Amino acid sequence: MNWFVTLKGYDMAFIGCRNLTKTYRKGDVLITPLEKLDLDVERGEFLALMGPSGSGKTTLLNLIAGIDRPTGGSLHVGDVELSTLSRTRLADWRVHNVGYVFQLYHLVPVLTAYENVELPLLLQTLSRRERHKRVTAALELANIADRHDHYPRQLSGGQEQRVAIARALVTDPQLIVADEPTGDLDRESAAVIMGLLKRLSGELGKTLIMVTHDPGSTRYASRTLHLDKGRLVESELQEVQ
Amino acid sequence: MLHPRYIPLVLKQIVRHRTRSLLTIAGVTIAMFLFIAIQTLQRSVQEATSVAAGDTTLIVYRANRFCPATSRLPEHYGDRIERMEGVRSAVPFMITVNNCGASLDVITYRGIPQDQLDLLARNWEVIDGSLDGWHDRSDAAILGERLARRRGFKVGDSFEAAGVTVNVAAVIRSTEAQDQNVAYVRLPFLQQATPSGSLGVVTGFSVRVNDPDQLERVAGRIDEEFRYDVEPTHTSPERAFIAQAGADVVNLVGFTHYIGWGCLIAVLALIANAIVLSVQDRIREHAVLQTLGFRSGLIARLILAEGLIVGVLGGLLGTVGAALLVHYGQFTLSNEGLHILVSPDPATLGLGLVVAAGVGVLAGFVPALQAGRREIAMCFRAV
Repeated sequence: MNWFVTLKGYDMAFIGCRNLTKTYRKGDVLITPLEKLDLDVERGEFLALMGPSGSGKTTLLNLIAGIDRPTGGSLHVGDVELSTLSRTRLADWRVHNVGYVFQLYHLVPVLTAYENVELPLLLQTLSRRERHKRVTAALELANIADRHDHYPRQLSGGQEQRVAIARALVTDPQLIVADEPTGDLDRESAAVIMGLLKRLSGELGKTLIMVTHDPGSTRYASRTLHLDKGRLVESELQEVQ
Repeated sequence: MLHPRYIPLVLKQIVRHRTRSLLTIAGVTIAMFLFIAIQTLQRSVQEATSVAAGDTTLIVYRANRFCPATSRLPEHYGDRIERMEGVRSAVPFMITVNNCGASLDVITYRGIPQDQLDLLARNWEVIDGSLDGWHDRSDAAILGERLARRRGFKVGDSFEAAGVTVNVAAVIRSTEAQDQNVAYVRLPFLQQATPSGSLGVVTGFSVRVNDPDQLERVAGRIDEEFRYDVEPTHTSPERAFIAQAGADVVNLVGFTHYIGWGCLIAVLALIANAIVLSVQDRIREHAVLQTLGFRSGLIARLILAEGLIVGVLGGLLGTVGAALLVHYGQFTLSNEGLHILVSPDPATLGLGLVVAAGVGVLAGFVPALQAGRREIAMCFRAV
């Protein structure tokens, strides 16, 4: 059963934001991290979001990933209008459509690398064998299969991030979002992770949106957007490396 | 309900947070052990002191006396009681105890006429020795299984208590609670061996009536018969007599009722505290699960399942521990020569498991609701 409001028939980008606004209250203060933002992202694009702290990058990322809901405007990903979905429907949508890579990896500490990657598959009706096949493939793609039985505490930061990427990939989503994926890594590990993300976009055709503070990371992206105070201030296209 | 494929996830959370889980389960175990031990004690007392519909036994004591040392009735009262309408038998008995107070380890001698043994033995199963041996020696004693086990007495052993030395002729198992914890000796032997005893004087009578419905009426008739004698009587159903004679014990056990509820509240607080701490500790982890697509209801159910499993494990260990202790401890609450057998029963053990599981779920309810309701983005901002 299709629970989602679909927008089929329109000629539109893979991701489209119109007048996208997010406000929330912190004590007595009303904060508007994102204000009337318009944005289109094409399928297979690797988009980098830059800007100072509090510019609304992570908020935009969270809205596109469906883990937060806009307070105004519209946002569609593929043919689904996310702004109208309930919390539960958004959760169901995320299972199949989005993979999230965090800056601090956020692996479940009591689970092994394998079990962490398997987590999203528990939400699907797959046999154990099928789950094993997909987890193994994702770990191999992230080049971390040899550490499948290690706990997060037994892995380096770069290895943890590769497990996190495998976890984001394992459901084969069209969209992968990454919030400062190299923010906690040394230069060498960061290069490995960025190379991996680039591969996901270039070879596997995933649409990738990445928040970063590191100008060096943006050279892997096909386009970089600059945000400030919740608004888009600059857009630049990169030559694909 | 939680789909079985999530159960390993819950178990891993419990097993791999080993110290936290062990401490919580240990706390639940201890509290449930106390709860079940108290429940067992209460049920045993209730069973021993509540008059049941089928009861046919009356106890005749000296009026206004409850202590065997002070209840003295002429032995010939027995003939007059037996002649009354509705009475099947009246067995005189003499009781001598080594401790008049409430205790878990009292040796009680019960002196009975030699010719009445067969009447009592209908409810017995001889598990060691023989009843013939009792007839052969004047100082022979038949021990209830609990007394023999508790003190380690075997057939052929001699022992002394309350100034009376006896030789063990047999060990019996009985359906009657009072038989399980006494040493049956011949009445004349006890009357002469006890310093304060004398021939022709007994502590009381155990009266069997024909019709359970006539129990109170027969009791009234007996007391009426001896009202103007030198030694008036007070007759009551055996269980009511136990409740009256052991009022101190019954009141004490009644008080433990509150301790039992206190234990339950302790379990609730303990599991709730462990789950709240665990949920607080895992705010970000739950936010990650929600990001992956776990619905808030599913996360709540995972937390509830953790509480349930911890509660059931602790409850199971505590319940089994209490059951083993009560079973092998062979405890008998004795007061004034009367005995309340403390024994485990399946209903109480089942209650323990259900209560532990219920408390586990209840304790996890609020943290589970809170964890499920948190906005994902706020969780990442907050931590």
